[in-house]
Amino acid sequence: MSLGFIFLLALLIFCTGVAGVIIRRDPIVLFICIEMMFNAANLAFVGIARATGLIEAQAIAFLVIAVAAAEVAVGLAIIIAIFRGQHDADVDHVSSLKG
Amino acid sequence: MGLTLALGLIFGALALASALAVVVTRHAIHAALWFITHLLCLACIYGLLNAPLLAVLQVMVYAGAVMVLFLFAIMILDASVLPPLPQAKGTLQALAGVLGALCLLAPGLAWLLLEGRTLDLAMPAAFDPGSTVAVARVLFGSYLYPFELVSILLLVALIAIMVLASRKLDSAEGRP
Repeated sequence: MSLGFIFLLALLIFCTGVAGVIIRRDPIVLFICIEMMFNAANLAFVGIARATGLIEAQAIAFLVIAVAAAEVAVGLAIIIAIFRGQHDADVDHVSSLKG
Repeated sequence: MGLTLALGLIFGALALASALAVVVTRHAIHAALWFITHLLCLACIYGLLNAPLLAVLQVMVYAGAVMVLFLFAIMILDASVLPPLPQAKGTLQALAGVLGALCLLAPGLAWLLLEGRTLDLAMPAAFDPGSTVAVARVLFGSYLYPFELVSILLLVALIAIMVLASRKLDSAEGRP
């Protein structure tokens, strides 16, 4: 396994996440696709740590996982606060700032 | 090294396929379950890349805690079956998504092909069993302040969720 293979895999996963964010319009799957992009970045970090021996890259990946967990918790709370009681949850239908 | 490469190819292909399935499937629950598959495959790749701590964290934090939150949100919103897109809008949106992803993919691939040749891309063959200790040394040494900041961030996120949830209970009747 080479660093190029890891970078290629991370690139493909990241672009899949970008395509998902553009294609999907329900907030939950959109959020899952954002998490996919986080994971692609993490994969690149771990690959760098393995190839160069810089263990700091693994520490950064650890911090990314923690920040992503906080982001998921707050984001899902906001999504539930906005979309509860609506049956077709669609990000295109959100047009007001004040709930 | 041959076994590592074979396992890496298998898990990489599985991770990519399940990522595509997340984007393509129509049910939110199916998307969440495919994403769990994706996360487990990435955890296996982390293990192959000599990062056992991150592999375990990926399974516990991501595939465990975060995905439970996602499934919880899907069930609260009752969003398991999604309404179909209008045909023209769906096709246009899919086209836009593929084009946007290709626009990002192309420069990355070009960089890998051009710059990747001069970069030393081979992995070292030795497996280091003490990598978790090394990560802990870095995390509690030079990265101590970022680590503590992240713990404060988690606390702030906890408080924010409580505020959001309590306000939602107060004004639950006022929503249209």
